[in-house]
Order: sequence, then structure tokens, then C-alpha cells
Amino acid sequence: MKPQVPNVLRGFVGTLLTEILPNLSAEYSMGNAAVMCQSLSVIADEFERGAEIRFRENEEMRALFAEAAKIVADKGLATRLLDASTGRDASLLISALDRSNAALASLLIELQVALEGMTGASVHAFESKVWDYLVTAADRRKFTLPSFG
Amino acid sequence: MEDVATRFAAYLQHRMPAVSNVEVSGLSRIYGGASRETYRLQATWEEGGVKVVRPLILRRDPVASLIETERDIEYNAYVAFHPTGLPVPEPLFLETDLKWLDRPFFVMEQIVDSAAGSAFNADPYGGNAERIGRQFWSHLGKIAGADPKAIGFASALEAVAPGDCWRVELAKWEKVIDEDELSPQPIARAGIRWLKRNPPPPAAKISVVHGDYRTGNFLFNGNGDITAILDWEMCHLGDPLEDIGWALSRLWSQEAEERPGGMIDREEALRIWQEASGIKIDRKALLWWEIFNMVKGLAIWISAAKEYESGTNLDPILAFASWIPTDRHNRILAHCLADLSRGAHA
Repeated sequence: MKPQVPNVLRGFVGTLLTEILPNLSAEYSMGNAAVMCQSLSVIADEFERGAEIRFRENEEMRALFAEAAKIVADKGLATRLLDASTGRDASLLISALDRSNAALASLLIELQVALEGMTGASVHAFESKVWDYLVTAADRRKFTLPSFG
Repeated sequence: MEDVATRFAAYLQHRMPAVSNVEVSGLSRIYGGASRETYRLQATWEEGGVKVVRPLILRRDPVASLIETERDIEYNAYVAFHPTGLPVPEPLFLETDLKWLDRPFFVMEQIVDSAAGSAFNADPYGGNAERIGRQFWSHLGKIAGADPKAIGFASALEAVAPGDCWRVELAKWEKVIDEDELSPQPIARAGIRWLKRNPPPPAAKISVVHGDYRTGNFLFNGNGDITAILDWEMCHLGDPLEDIGWALSRLWSQEAEERPGGMIDREEALRIWQEASGIKIDRKALLWWEIFNMVKGLAIWISAAKEYESGTNLDPILAFASWIPTDRHNRILAHCLADLSRGAHA
């Protein structure tokens, strides 16, 4: 699509801010329009990065699971971690990536619960690695709101 | 809108049979407060041959909302605190009969010449930040220090034992996440597990907890005076540290920790609160309530996402709330829990 979608969305925000908002008289409508402007800016960023973020998270969780399968004491969980670690994202549709992201995140929660019930320096070191992933993933998803002031 | 104005004028006439010629003008829905439809209006009537003009606020129950709340609790909070001198609007009428405006509502005084700050504004208070900040923390201390029985509020709220405050609140918000999450939440779940593993000591006292005390939920005027503390719909009895944990959240200060809400220095804020409340802050317990409030925040934003996604409420603020604050709270909580986890194993 040309012009590129983020550029179009940001153009729409400009039109809303300079042409539509100033002509609204109802306070509630103005508030809604302002929130929609902020949201459109976020959507513009997400359109560009959404698939990349999900794909990378999924790959990083699979890599963690491959390692975790050798550490966790619960054999059933270890098998499921190993199975999940060999998966691949066959589709790059956001909805498909979201589905695999949800399945992997759910397994990650189980993994953290298991690790929290274990002791030992290697377990704690791996727990720290899981936190590295969660922090990095949360930082990567950061939205930057534009200033309309 | 005209219909609401006409019907509301009829309601006022019904509630004030001694007056005549009630008219409602300037009815306008106020933006914000996603938990209720809020309208400002001007009511006029004749009383004893004198024309009375009264700016009012009408808060009507929504079809669906960001937070499922009880209107009676919010109204009764105004009833309890208005006589104490705390800046809250004067409550006037609470109405549950659907014949007037289709949904229950309450009416209160309109605080004029005042505005609310935005948590998404980098400097919401400008040159008045210090002055407003001192009042903000002093008022919260006074709420914490108030005796819920003495102000007639205890009977309107569910009783809780000092040792159960944390458990009751955590269970409430964990249930919201259980019921409303649209996708698994590793960070929120890790937060819940940490909170259960590290319970705080019993509350120093049972206080009225505002439940949403923060930038955006109070009004201030051009002189830098707080003129009204609003949005009491999540009010309950509990540990007074709960409100501090919410007010300190970096969510309300562009993620900066040192000046909560963009007002005054954190340590000065806590000193003012202690002085006004007469309660000494247990720092370890406060950490628990700060982390709890990150989880509670996530529960609220998760609930907003569910509301929007289900189509029951397509207010744009719900979509916005489920993106931006979720992103911020997830990041703040992840960093905090990662540090705690590493510290515990160091």
C-alpha cells in the first residue's frame, strides 16, 4: 500500500487535530477525538512493528524453552517445553502470531511457576534469564505517545 | 441531550416541591470518568420569589464501564467527607428509580473555575506543582486518618480485618484478571505470585481507601488549590497504604519515580502523608502495596480491553486504556519484579 499506512494514519491525525477538532463544540466529542488521535498514532507504530515484535517474542520464548527443558524437574512439563521449542510460525498474520504468542506465554507462566518451586544456583540463573526476556519484551513493546501540545 | 435536560428538570421539580419554574440549561457531557456518564448543567428555579441559579453535576450509570462500580458508594463517600472539610462536592440527590433518566444517577454541586490534570501531560500543574502536591498528600493523609465510623461511612462499606486487607484486595483483582484476560499475562501473574509469597503485615489501622487517588481524579484552580477530590467509586475499607501505592505509581508521572504525579518529591510526599494521617509508614509493607497497585492497574486495563473487544462499550478511551497504560504498567512491573527476583537470589 502506497502511501505507506503509518504515513496515512499520521496524516489523518494531523487532519483531525487541525481541521476537525477545532470545529467540534461538544466537550465530550472533543475528548473522544483527542483520544482517537493518540490511538491512531499508536496504531501507526504498531502497523510497522507488530509482526516483528510478535515473531521475535515467539522465537525468544522457544529458545528459552529449549534450555528450560533440560532444567525443570517435572518430566511432563519438560516434554511440553521441548515440543514447543521446536515450533515455528508458519504464518505472519498478526492473528496467527498472536495465537502462538498466547500459547507460548501460557507455557512461560507454567515454566516460571516450576522454577519458583526449585532451588539451586543454575535454576536462579535461568530464572534471571526468563526475567531478562520479559523485561526486554516489555521494553520492546513500549509505545511513545506524540505530544500534541 | 434536550430530552435529558427536560426530564432532569422534571426530576428536580419533583425533589424540590417548594420551588417553581425549574429549568435546566447548558447540559453538556464531560469527557473522562469512563465509569459514569457525567454531565455539567445549570439549573435555575424560583424560591420564595427569588431566582436561584445552581451549577450542578449529574452522574448517570453507564450501560457498561471501565470499572464495575457502585454508585451508592461514591455518593456516600461525598456524604461522609463533605462535612469534614475535605474538598469534595456537596452531594445533593441519589436516585435509583429508572423512570426519571432510564438509569440510576446522582446529583452533586458543580465545582467551578477548576480543572483536572492529565497523567499523559508531562507537566500537568506547571508552577503550582509544589503547592498542589503538598495538598494532594495532606488530603490523602486526612482520608487515611479519618475514623470511618465517626464520619458515618463504615456501615456503607464492607468490614475487613487488618490482617485480611491485602488478601481481600488481591483476590478481588486476581479474579478480574482471571475473568477478563484476552491473552495470558506472564508479568501480571508473576506479580500475583510474588504478592502471595510476600504478604504485608496487618494494616496499622482500617481506613477509608479512596481506591483511585491520583492525577486526573481531583480538580484544582488557578491559585493552585485543590478544590475537589473526585471519583470515589472504588472506595472501600482497607489498609491506608493501598492509596499511597496507587498515588505513587510511575504510571501517573511519565514513569518517573522521584516526583509522583509530577508534583513533589517522593520522600516529602510520604512525610506530609504521615504527618496528616498520624500513621507511620512501614516501607516493606508499602513496597507490597506498590506492587499490588501495578497488578490492580493491569487488571483494570485488561478489563477495559475485554469490554471493548466484546462490543459492550466502544468508548475510545477503553481501547486507549487497554493499550497505553497496559504497556506502561507491564514494563514498570517487569523491571520491578526482575530486580526483586535477582535481589532475592543475590
